[in-house]
Amino acid sequence: MSDLGGEAGALFMELGARMAQTLARLREARSVTVGCSAHRAVWSHGKTTLFEYLPLEGRAQKGARPLLVCFALVNRPYILDLQADTSLIRRLLEAGRKVYLVDWGNPDDGDRLQELNDYLEQGLGGCVRHVLATQGTDTLDLLGVCQGGVLSLCYSALHPAQIANLVTLTTPVDFQTPDDLLSKWVRGLDTELLARVGNVPGELLNALFLSLLPFRLMQQKYVRLLIAGAEQRAVEDFVRMERWIFDSPPQAAAALTQFVRWFYQENRLMRGTLELGGRAVDLKSVRQPLLNLYATADHIVPPAACEVMGRHVGSRDYTACAIDTGHIGMYVSRKARTEIPQRIIAWLEARSGAAARRPRRRPRK
Amino acid sequence: MQGPFGTAWTASDTAFAGAAARFFELLKTFAAQPHTAPGRSPDWTQLGAALAGQFEQWLKSSPAAGAAFAAAAGFPASAHSAAAPPWPPGPIPLGPAARVAEEQSAWELLMKLGQLQAQLSRHWGEIAGNAAQRFMGRMRTTQSTDLTAESALALYETWVECAEEAYAETVRREDFSQLQAQLTNTAMALLLAQRSQAEALARAWGLPTREETDALQRQIRELRQRLEERPAQKPQRTPRAAARAPRKGSAKAGTGRGVRGRRGGARSKRR
Repeated sequence: MSDLGGEAGALFMELGARMAQTLARLREARSVTVGCSAHRAVWSHGKTTLFEYLPLEGRAQKGARPLLVCFALVNRPYILDLQADTSLIRRLLEAGRKVYLVDWGNPDDGDRLQELNDYLEQGLGGCVRHVLATQGTDTLDLLGVCQGGVLSLCYSALHPAQIANLVTLTTPVDFQTPDDLLSKWVRGLDTELLARVGNVPGELLNALFLSLLPFRLMQQKYVRLLIAGAEQRAVEDFVRMERWIFDSPPQAAAALTQFVRWFYQENRLMRGTLELGGRAVDLKSVRQPLLNLYATADHIVPPAACEVMGRHVGSRDYTACAIDTGHIGMYVSRKARTEIPQRIIAWLEARSGAAARRPRRRPRK
Repeated sequence: MQGPFGTAWTASDTAFAGAAARFFELLKTFAAQPHTAPGRSPDWTQLGAALAGQFEQWLKSSPAAGAAFAAAAGFPASAHSAAAPPWPPGPIPLGPAARVAEEQSAWELLMKLGQLQAQLSRHWGEIAGNAAQRFMGRMRTTQSTDLTAESALALYETWVECAEEAYAETVRREDFSQLQAQLTNTAMALLLAQRSQAEALARAWGLPTREETDALQRQIRELRQRLEERPAQKPQRTPRAAARAPRKGSAKAGTGRGVRGRRGGARSKRR
C-alpha cells in the first residue's frame, strides 16, 4: 500500500485504522453470550429437551393456551431469543404468553438411526404431551419454524385434536420450486450412500447454506462492518449472529436421509404421499386456524415454496403473510423486532377463545 | 464448535480479516488504474482481469463455495483450504492387509473425485470471468470519482452484485447441480470404501466393526420401542409380584423424563 499516494493513500490509512479497531472489537466480543430470557428444562427424551420460559417480572401470564415453539433440526433455536431487542420469545412473554421451546440437542453416533418419525412422535409429541399434562389443557398453540414448521404441519395433521392454532414461519411445502437452489443441489444425491456414511457434521451444513450466496454471506457482510466502523455494541450483535450461523448441530443420518429423499427428492408432503411411522400425512387433515409467515427474499426457503401451503391444507381459517425480508431477517431484522411478533400475537389473541382460558383439569405438578 | 473457518469465536476475526484483505486488494487494483481525466471513464480491462484472477483463487480455496462436499470425504479442495481433511484421501495404507479389490476401488474413486474437482475448477474460472465481464460492463457507464470510503464501498457492492449474479447463473444450471451431486456421491463412496478397508483390518484383529455396532444400535432401538409400548399393556402380575411392587411413588415406565422426576429417582436411590 505504501506505493499509493494522495487520496488512495489516505483512504488506505483510514481503512487500515478502522480494520484494526474492528478486529480489536471483534476479539473483545468473543465472550458475548446468546439467549436473553430465563428458561428451565422441564422434560427430556434422548437428546431432545423441552424448555419452559419463565414469565417476565411484572407481566402476569394471561390464561391463554400454552405456545410451543418447534425449531428446525438443522439450526439452533436460540436465534429466537438471541438478544433482548430482537427476541421473538421475549415479545411473546411480554404479551403474556406461556412459552415452551423444543431443543433437539446434539445427535451423536448413537443417534444415527434416529428417524424423522422418532423426532416427530417421541420428540415433538413428547413435548406436546408434557405441556398438555402439566398445564391441564386439551390443546396448545404450535409455532413451527423452517424445518420445524414442516414437522409441525406433519404433527398437526396426525394429531389434530392436540393443536388449537398453528403458526408457521418460513416453512416450505413445495420442495421443488424452480428458484430453490438447495433443492436443485440435493436432488441428485445418492441417499443410500448418505444413510450409510453416518451423521452429517454441522460444519458441512453451514458450508452448504453459505454456498447458496457465498459473496454476500462470506465477504460483503464483513466489508460492510469495516466501512461502518461499528461501535462495540453493534460488533457484539454481529458476533452473536455469527456464533449462531456457525453453530449448526450434526444431523442424524437416518432422519437427514429421509428428509432429503422424501421432501426434497420426492416432494411427498405436497404430493400427499408422505407416510411417517406407517401413517399417511395428509395436509388436508390440518384444519386448525393457520398463520403462514414467510419471507419474500428468502434464499433458503423461497417464497414460492411457502405460498402454496394454503392450497394444500384443510384450514378454513388460513392467513398467509409475506414479510419483506430474507430468511435470517425473519428472526433478527427490524421486522423481527416489531412486525412479526405483533402479527403472531394479534393473530393468536384473536383466536384465543374462552375455552382456552379455562383449564380442563388440575394441572399435573 | 468447529466452523468452516475454525471455532465460531475465532471465525469472525479470521473471516473479517480475510474479507478486509480481499477488499483492500480490490481497492489497490482499482487505485492502480491509469489516471483518467475527471468526468471520463477509465479503462477497466486491466482491472477486470485482475479481479477475475483474485476471484477465481478465492472460489477455489473457499470451503463454502462448493469444495465442502468433497472436503466432507477428506478430499482437499486446495492446499490453502481451511477445511482440512480429517483423514488421508485414497486407499488406507494397510500394506499386505489390504484387499486388492477394495484398494483398487478406492483408487478409482479417488481418480474420479480428482476429475470432478477439475470440472468444478473450470466452473469457478467461468464464474470469475463472467463476474469480471459484468463488472466492467457496469463500470463503463460510471464516471471517474474520488476514492473515498463511501465510493469504495459502492464499488465493492457493485462487484459483489456482479459476482453473485455470475455465480447464480452457473450454479443454477443442471450440469452444475449434477456435478455437485456427483462430487458428493463420489466422496461418500470413497469414504465408505475406506471404511470397508478399515473394517477388514478390524475384523482380522478381532476388533468390533461398524457393522457390529450398527447391529447393536438396532437391537437397542427395538428394545426401546418395546419399552415404550409397555405402559399400554396391562401387566398380569402374580400375587407374589403384586406384593413386592411398590404401591406409591414408583417411576412410570416411559422414555420421556420430567426433570423433577429424574431428580426424585436419584433421591430414592440414595435412600
